[in-house]
Amino acid sequence: MLSYLVRRIPSAVGVLFAASFLIFLMLRLIPGDPVDALAGQDATQESRDAIRADLGLDKPFWSQYVSWLGGLFRLDLGQSYRIGGDVGDLLRNGALNTVVLTVAALLIALVLALVTSLVAVIRDSRWLNAALNAVNTIGLALPTFASGLLLVLVFAVVFPLLPSGGTPPEGYLARPDISVQYLLLPAFCLALPVWAGLSRFLTEALRSQLRQPYITTARAAGVSRTRLVVRHALPNALPSAVTVLGIQVGTLLGGAVLVEQIFTWPGLGSLIELAISGRDYPVVQVLLLLSVAVFVVTQLLTDVLQAWLDPRIRIGGAR
Amino acid sequence: MTDPVGSTEETGTRDVLTIEGLAISFAQPRPAVNDISVSIRQGEVLALVGESGSGKSMTARAVLGLLPPGARASGSIRFHDQELLGLSERELSQVRGRRIAMVFQEPQTALNPVRTIGWQLREVLRAHGSISRRDARARALALLEQVEIPEPERRIDHYPHQLSGGQKQRVVLALALANEPELLLADEPTTALDVTVQAEILTLLRRIRENTGTSILLITHNMGVVAEVADRVVVLRQGDVVESGGTAELFRAPEHAYTRQLLDSVLTLPEAGDYVHSVPGPEAPAEHPALSYESVSVAYGSSRRGRAFPAVTQVSLDLAPGEVLGLVGESGSGKTTLGRLAAGLVPLAGGTVRLDGEDLFAASAARRRELGRDLAFVHQDPEASLDPRMSVGASIREPLDIHRVGTPAERAARVAELLEAVRLPAEVARRRPRELSGGQRQRIAMARALVLKPRLMIADEPTSALDVSVQADVLALFRDLQKEFGFACVFISHDLAVVNSVADRVAVLRHGEVVESGPVAQVFGTPSHPYTQRLLAAVPVPDPSRRTTEQVVEANRRRAG
Repeated sequence: MLSYLVRRIPSAVGVLFAASFLIFLMLRLIPGDPVDALAGQDATQESRDAIRADLGLDKPFWSQYVSWLGGLFRLDLGQSYRIGGDVGDLLRNGALNTVVLTVAALLIALVLALVTSLVAVIRDSRWLNAALNAVNTIGLALPTFASGLLLVLVFAVVFPLLPSGGTPPEGYLARPDISVQYLLLPAFCLALPVWAGLSRFLTEALRSQLRQPYITTARAAGVSRTRLVVRHALPNALPSAVTVLGIQVGTLLGGAVLVEQIFTWPGLGSLIELAISGRDYPVVQVLLLLSVAVFVVTQLLTDVLQAWLDPRIRIGGAR
Repeated sequence: MTDPVGSTEETGTRDVLTIEGLAISFAQPRPAVNDISVSIRQGEVLALVGESGSGKSMTARAVLGLLPPGARASGSIRFHDQELLGLSERELSQVRGRRIAMVFQEPQTALNPVRTIGWQLREVLRAHGSISRRDARARALALLEQVEIPEPERRIDHYPHQLSGGQKQRVVLALALANEPELLLADEPTTALDVTVQAEILTLLRRIRENTGTSILLITHNMGVVAEVADRVVVLRQGDVVESGGTAELFRAPEHAYTRQLLDSVLTLPEAGDYVHSVPGPEAPAEHPALSYESVSVAYGSSRRGRAFPAVTQVSLDLAPGEVLGLVGESGSGKTTLGRLAAGLVPLAGGTVRLDGEDLFAASAARRRELGRDLAFVHQDPEASLDPRMSVGASIREPLDIHRVGTPAERAARVAELLEAVRLPAEVARRRPRELSGGQRQRIAMARALVLKPRLMIADEPTSALDVSVQADVLALFRDLQKEFGFACVFISHDLAVVNSVADRVAVLRHGEVVESGPVAQVFGTPSHPYTQRLLAAVPVPDPSRRTTEQVVEANRRRAG
């Protein structure tokens, strides 16, 4: 298992390198100049040149790229052009909030998907299936801004049960009960499409496992339906569900930007919005690279988890 | 309805299971059961024989309420005095495994791939009453011992993929026996196994019956298997009972024409001493053999990581033009790999493959494609090897289209010609594969193989997926086509009798090596290698008076021990 992980690392590093270059290149291909954004319309040519030299943007493309990469290795992420301050500090402030939000959403999606698909398959009732199908479709089809506003409207305005936005004022650990209240709406909003997709997939995977001959063997031996689904079919359906979940992490990252806007959640999502509109290259570059890194690591983890869940990969074909 | 078969013949033993007037129907038209009445006595092995569509598997599944969704069963299935038809799922799970257990055909898929053998045995034990972890493990070990799995202490923690096919089937048997059922339903339990393993499993079934008094309902299409183990036989055809009776009588004097046909279509092997020394294959070979393997080796897996697995080692064989070479061997013997090698479909690790004298692997890609025109494949499963979306005519014509042979009119004429050669009406060309029967589909596959007038055909288990009576027709057709078109053929089969009926020469493979080769009559009539002898002895003979497998198994055990 460990050697498998080690074998995969070089290609993961390669992907990160390629991504860093593409991101760097792409940003400079997008129309708009950070100097314009900073200097304003009436600036003289001299002051514009001064700003350009100050930011190092007068140097050749390659030397800019290499000095950025060098900075990354020294964990020096550079200075923000527009928001001001060290990029590393800006990230640290937002990262905690975003991580808390996405992890909470991931857990909610996972638990809900497991529960709903298991119940649906065990019960196998027509009404329940139709109802879950409808909920799934709504979850997948409803755009995040709509579901977010709907949630706020219902649970914060019409029935004022939960705060409509913001992070817990005293931090996450001081009053866990209050933290949960703040977290519930944004995390559920973010989890909704992931849950819908995952539960639809898992339900189908469980059903197709139930058609496998080994299930007939267990059924012929008198194993009850609940056990057939939970103890026999589920472990066989999990590895592919893990892969789907890994892909959904991308949805989660993208969704976080929107959800943070709706619920005024001060995470990386609002930072990236600010940085892109201000052509704040250092901030945008690092944020994009970070999301690529999260995705690469997630894929690595899902592959390892999948191998670990399947003894045919874990143990191999030794007879 | 009719009297349950044989229920009054012998007194003193009581019926365990009585099926009366069983009918099974489906919403869509498909083979179903019309009217089947069968009863099985305590401690008896009853064989339910029939070809596909006879309803034999459906009957067994109906007993445990395991029919596919949409099936409706009527009539009566009584287990002792309990009516099983119409029981709820909850009531059925009391019967399943505890009182009646079932064994399935395909051991490769009958076990849960992500759970250990021990876990699966424990799960089955737990399904019928609570049992402590330690007791369950002890019982599981005892069961593995009962089904004669070597080193049960080690095997109990293994996953299914770590066991061989025969061992898997033993585990499936152990699962069925776990709760000491009174009746065992065995649905083609040895069909997916090699002959030597089949002989072992049949012996085990017999021993289980003797030691535990369990009744066994054996479902099979193989008359040899019936003769080996059954006390009584019930012959089914298209959902009806055709004939039934004691095994010895039925084989001696079959009454119904269908039973006779079934028995006649069983291919036989030459007896020892049948070999007459005058079968020298085709005359002095032309300048080049159609195909020659010169000490070829093939390895699968990555040799870089040191996990290369030798599939074929140092095999040398020649195939004269117009000759049929049979390749026989058990699973993993490398026979399919050798066939695919002739088409350059597997990487060669050593040696030379020559098609008509030309080194295949040294040829350029373009030249290889040209050589490919002279070579045709017929695969085992005609259902999987024909594109379901293409009409049969288009499938046959496709090689002509690819190689741009002739005008469209000429191509159509060639398709018609071939359909006639495989004795199918020309109008079949417009149909889709799913509208045809298995035997018809295999004829189509043959027509497609012959469309480019190949000089060499690789036929990989071409009749294994077919019923015996259909198999006989297809083999006869193959022989005629071979005579007519004069192609050389590598005929791959695990079935010695099939090879015996079509091949001029035969090579016996084992673990990727040729154990013995020569004219068919010589190799099968007077086998010189002990492995060939064992292989031949393990083939069940359709004659109840000569039950041989037990001795074979004993002999194997002595050799091993």
